[in-house]
Amino acid sequence: MEYVNPLTGLRIDGRRPTEMRHLMGQIGVVSKADGSALFEMGNTRVIAAVYGPRQLQIKGQQMNNNEALVRCEYSMANFSTGDRARRPKGDRRSTEISLVIRQTMEACILTKLMPRSQIDIFVQVLQADGGTRSACINAATLALADAGIPMRDIVTSCSAGYLCTTPLLDLNYAEDSAGGPDVTVGILAKMDKVTLLQMDAKLPLDTFETVMQLAIEGCKAIAQYIREIMLQNTKQLECRRGS
Amino acid sequence: METTQATEGGGGGATGIAAQMEVEAFRRLFPLPFYKRHLLESVRPDARALDSARDTTISLGPVASADGSALVKIGETTMLAAIKLEVMTPSTERPDEGSIVVEFYMPPICSPMVRPGRPAEVAPVISKQLLDVIRSSGMVNLKELCLISGKASWIAYLDVYCLNADGSLFDAALLSAVAAFTHLQIPLVSVTEEGRVFTVSSEQEEKTKFELVNKDKRKLSLSSIPFPLTSVIHEDHILVDPTAEEETVMETSITLVLDALENLVSVYKPGGVGLASTEIMKECITRTKRRMQELKTILEESVSVMEVD
Repeated sequence: MEYVNPLTGLRIDGRRPTEMRHLMGQIGVVSKADGSALFEMGNTRVIAAVYGPRQLQIKGQQMNNNEALVRCEYSMANFSTGDRARRPKGDRRSTEISLVIRQTMEACILTKLMPRSQIDIFVQVLQADGGTRSACINAATLALADAGIPMRDIVTSCSAGYLCTTPLLDLNYAEDSAGGPDVTVGILAKMDKVTLLQMDAKLPLDTFETVMQLAIEGCKAIAQYIREIMLQNTKQLECRRGS
Repeated sequence: METTQATEGGGGGATGIAAQMEVEAFRRLFPLPFYKRHLLESVRPDARALDSARDTTISLGPVASADGSALVKIGETTMLAAIKLEVMTPSTERPDEGSIVVEFYMPPICSPMVRPGRPAEVAPVISKQLLDVIRSSGMVNLKELCLISGKASWIAYLDVYCLNADGSLFDAALLSAVAAFTHLQIPLVSVTEEGRVFTVSSEQEEKTKFELVNKDKRKLSLSSIPFPLTSVIHEDHILVDPTAEEETVMETSITLVLDALENLVSVYKPGGVGLASTEIMKECITRTKRRMQELKTILEESVSVMEVD
């Protein structure tokens, strides 16, 4: 199957190889949460809600007194993928992605400022079309900012792949399931440091470097967009406050 | 935050301390006296009258991959319902009927009370209530979900997700289920020689050589659509469409479901401290009738908006 048309150079959804899908972010969608955000990357739509910092719920989990405990739960709605699949709550894929998101966000939250408390990040996937991991991390960043939790930098994430000898940015579900490599990168935007890097399938080293660079470029573009949303949100808050 | 003179209200234990206290602190520490003072003026903290519901919006088709979906907001309470149809063999007792499976979820994003490992207590209760009401109202004629009598019929999986829990959860859930059924578009289906049923997408409609089994029956004809209203009772006051805070403070809620012909479909008052006399019941029924008219208009508007698109 030709994922990149040899004549026009376009992908199956009409994008160019280094073009990202349409991004849309919205802050404050769940009023009950301390912070929340809706993030869309093309057809992938994700809601993140942050509760915290709040009191430790289970005393036994208090491992380190000097830091806040960050917890994360990732779940997909039954209708989020093409076929309705009955999803058991703790299935392996969800647990793995929960762990990945938790450790990525732990890298940027200043946990030392909130000892003896916990921060819960819940992510719910409403529509899945590839790149759910990245969309979840981006949504979680916005939600943490909405909750006012101190962070050392914003974390953004993007995926890239390599099909038909072309590096492709931001794979959708069809391209992801094509069997080619899938590199997911999460960076701390301003500090330019990589916190998350996952790859499956085989890639020669120099191709890997190209693909990783492409994904990092994508992350920086998303960081730019996220900053704009946060600025808009702050302006709105300022307006409402009447200053 | 302004400091208000919260002098003694209609509640014991709130006198001397409450003399000078901020409004928010008083609300947190003495919720019942806070509400009692509002009830004396027949108003609620969000400036609503006792018998007016919050702004309700319905939007059809937010989930493109589902056969029918709806997003409903009552105030801040948000519900997302989606229906997916699959083909199954009908049971031998009812060979020309399909079936409906309803599941209601409260994921941890919706409320600070829901935590992983400690699911919400009300979720399975609302799930059962939804199924009972949809069945007993007869809104969906199961015979319309039949494809080939005795061989193939549709099973409709209705999943309702609560995205924000701020009171009146059952109302929003039922409304979103009803709206999703209104939006439901049954996919075109065709049969192979071996008798296997498969769906045909709309682009292949003209090109297909197979016979399309259900060309005309694409939308369900819904009859006697149920409309709900939840209220909380406190002494003699009835507060319609409570928020989560009001539900916790007042503790006794009563849910009534009426259909379009003003028949009573369901009454649900699961115990509670507040007692309801017959007058209060009659009052609730009147309020539900009014709310039903409002909801009917909102639902019809959202359907016509969708059809324009």
